[in-house]
Amino acid sequence: MNITSLYPQWVFTHGPALLVVLPLMMAVITALLPSKNAVGAKLAWLFTLGTVVVCALLAFALLMQVISHGPVSYAMGGWEPPIGIGYYIDALNAPILLLITVIGTLCMIYALPSIAAEVEPTKRALFYSAFLVSFAGLLGMVATGDAFNVFVFLEVSSISTYVLVAMGASRDRRALTSAYNYLMMGSIGATFFVIGIGFIYMQTGTLNMIDIARVLQDGGVDSRVTKLAFAFIVIGLGLKLAMFPLHTWLPGAYAYAPSFVTAFLAATATKAALYLLLRFSFTIFDPSWDFVAKSLMYLLAGMGIVGMMVASLQAIFQNDIRRVLAFSSVAQVGYMLLGVGMVTTLGLTAGYLHMLNHAIMKGALFIAVGAFWYRFGITQVSDMKGLGKTMPLTMAGFTIAGLSLIGVPGTVGFVSKLALVRAAAENGWWWAVGVIVVTSILAIIYIGRLIEQAYFHPAPKIGNKTVAKNEAPLAMLIPLWILAISAIVLGINAEWTTSLAEAAAHVLSGGPIVEFPHAVGGH
Amino acid sequence: MSPHLILKVVAKMLIPLIALFGFYVQFHGDFGPGGGFQAGVILAAAVILYALIFGVDAAKKAVPESWIRIGMSFGVLLYGGTGVATWFLGGNFLDYTVFAPHSTHAAGQHWGIFAVELGVLCTVTCAMLAIFYAFGSRIPELSDEDW
Amino acid sequence: MGSSPELILNLGLMAMLIVVAFAVVRMRSLFAIVMLQGVYSLLSAAWFVSLDAVDVAFTEAAVGAGISTVLMLGAMLLTDRNAKPISVRQKMGPFLIVVVAGLAMFYAIGDMPAYGDAMSPANAYIGAEYIEATKREIFLPNVVTAVLASYRGFDTFGETVVIFMAGLGIMLLLGLDGKAGQWRAKPNGRNICTSSPPARKMASALEAPVATKKRTVKKATKKPKSKTAGTKS
Repeated sequence: MNITSLYPQWVFTHGPALLVVLPLMMAVITALLPSKNAVGAKLAWLFTLGTVVVCALLAFALLMQVISHGPVSYAMGGWEPPIGIGYYIDALNAPILLLITVIGTLCMIYALPSIAAEVEPTKRALFYSAFLVSFAGLLGMVATGDAFNVFVFLEVSSISTYVLVAMGASRDRRALTSAYNYLMMGSIGATFFVIGIGFIYMQTGTLNMIDIARVLQDGGVDSRVTKLAFAFIVIGLGLKLAMFPLHTWLPGAYAYAPSFVTAFLAATATKAALYLLLRFSFTIFDPSWDFVAKSLMYLLAGMGIVGMMVASLQAIFQNDIRRVLAFSSVAQVGYMLLGVGMVTTLGLTAGYLHMLNHAIMKGALFIAVGAFWYRFGITQVSDMKGLGKTMPLTMAGFTIAGLSLIGVPGTVGFVSKLALVRAAAENGWWWAVGVIVVTSILAIIYIGRLIEQAYFHPAPKIGNKTVAKNEAPLAMLIPLWILAISAIVLGINAEWTTSLAEAAAHVLSGGPIVEFPHAVGGH
Repeated sequence: MSPHLILKVVAKMLIPLIALFGFYVQFHGDFGPGGGFQAGVILAAAVILYALIFGVDAAKKAVPESWIRIGMSFGVLLYGGTGVATWFLGGNFLDYTVFAPHSTHAAGQHWGIFAVELGVLCTVTCAMLAIFYAFGSRIPELSDEDW
Repeated sequence: MGSSPELILNLGLMAMLIVVAFAVVRMRSLFAIVMLQGVYSLLSAAWFVSLDAVDVAFTEAAVGAGISTVLMLGAMLLTDRNAKPISVRQKMGPFLIVVVAGLAMFYAIGDMPAYGDAMSPANAYIGAEYIEATKREIFLPNVVTAVLASYRGFDTFGETVVIFMAGLGIMLLLGLDGKAGQWRAKPNGRNICTSSPPARKMASALEAPVATKKRTVKKATKKPKSKTAGTKS
């Protein structure tokens, strides 16, 4: 059956804009809800959940449309690009839109109990509003086809994210310094990025991605300005996606943000930035140009490898559970960059696949860690003792996601690591295969440490009494288990995700996109 | 006698002029430099000047805190709402021509630009005041010697 | 670069910008730094006027020299009057980054189009089209307004949301009444945490009323058996 026929036609014509505008408008309406009473907070949650669900349905429709009919484009304000701002959705960004919206939906279910414990009652409506702004910003960054519009939505999502991270201060005051750190690093990244865009404009006179690619192809690229633009954009995005030496903001931000924010960010934010890196390196600039290929191969793959090793080692020595997982995130970004740095179709498929799979695993892990705090106030590894008995279902979900992170066969982590190993072998990068194996062993150590604490120790005692079993509420278990089960299902039958990744890699290896698609929307 | 008499008298004369200039920048933005951003900042500056001279509490009486959240949100709603209206009239998001499709001098564009600039004005003024109030409410009273 | 008086004006303004920037970096008195930042903004606004970017100059003057200065003063009054000196070692990293980024930009100057070159891509392609199309499609004398509000209206929508978010963030973090930040998050179940991080311990010691709500919590956190809690990171 063709699912797209169930949607009204305007979804396909105006969907790209609606996907961004709807959460923004709802954010504003949510901010207007009364904040003094509990009804306002509940209503805000409902509004936000509804918005996120509608966005997920929209993203799904767009993905189906892209798969069956090719790229969808939209002319904002009715001005056809390059005069106006064009939105452009193809096989490369449609899966990421779906990923962000689905993770957003799951996190919003989780938010109901989690936010009730972590955010001041009078601020909840505003908090949800800030979340919607961040959500819309990520979608805008991914859906747009205009280089400057990327910057605008990068700022929209970043500024709201800084605030969301700082909201963790009611749990731990260190959230404030972490948010400040993130703000500084993020602003430097955004500045580098916008300077890069400025140089692109200087060189090409246009801001539309397709048009930039066309002008660069026509006019030759052997200009210092183009090279500099590329360098600045890579560094700016490298900061945003926590590429190895630029990742210093990430552990603090993930460790002290409210649980809900960490779960959402860990699964989406770095992915959106990585998507932009792919978009700029492959479909705007061209890896057949020497400086692009060299920087991808030496800088990205090199930094990816170093990051995999160093961050995995650091993860072993952390005491805070969320810091363990945060350093593991930096290492996982290294895997993705390694795949991208190979500049082969197989490598890109593997990197892209790992990006999707990592979101599933990390989402589940951080949701579970939030549940540990919610029931028992646990943040440290040493306090996880006996969690297998006190929170069996939550811990089981955590374990599945953890095993997937290690790369145990039958899970999504295995699928993408195998793809990566095959890509590296095909490329003749045997040292990279070795590094993947070594970092997987390191992952066994840092994840194993958490699981060992939970299962091989008796339940803790307070006074003489053993702490009773206290499972996480259903609103936390449901998203956790949806993610954990999909980690297994998509690990056993990886056909769908692999086909998405292959389609994305096909777009990437097809060289720069220089032709405007037939506009489904627009005039 | 009030210690800052000259300041207060001059400020009272200047503030209406600043506000007026703000509105001029807003509504003349189509023809000369300026627009919602600049006008919003100038309007906020008028209130902030008032707060600096007469105290934050006096300013909060003139522009209450409760207005801020509403004004800030209203601005974005007005901007986005203009786009949603263009959707309902059958155009693309923010395609102002649908407001007056048969106009020979792009009246629809003029209406659209007017509306969105007004939205920007609201949001910028209120957000600037929000930031100022947030800092201003926390600052302890300073004696003149402290400077 | 136009006639020579204009060149002298531009060079003079740029020299002053550099001097002010160095002064801002070198100074320790925050009050002076805030004032000099206002001066910097005003100078750059003047420079933008001489580059014929009046709209940008206007914004810079209103936002940079006007509001920002007041807000920075407000922030300064909440913290301190003098900046703590920063060790040379701490300065090296940022210094290197600035030098490398600056050198990279100088390297690219060779291939940049001359300033004001009518045939440069930025002036000849979409920019020229905007000037042409505004007359025909929007009937507004100010092209900048037409581009900002109509051709690239969605960007401006995003920027408006950024401003909205700034206000929202301030309300979330500071509150408008100056009383935010007192509320403490509390696990829904029972806190069994034995090795709480040092900062939390300090916080719970300082805010006894919050911590004593649950006797067990206080007992648990006060016990100095945090062998594993020695966070090195």
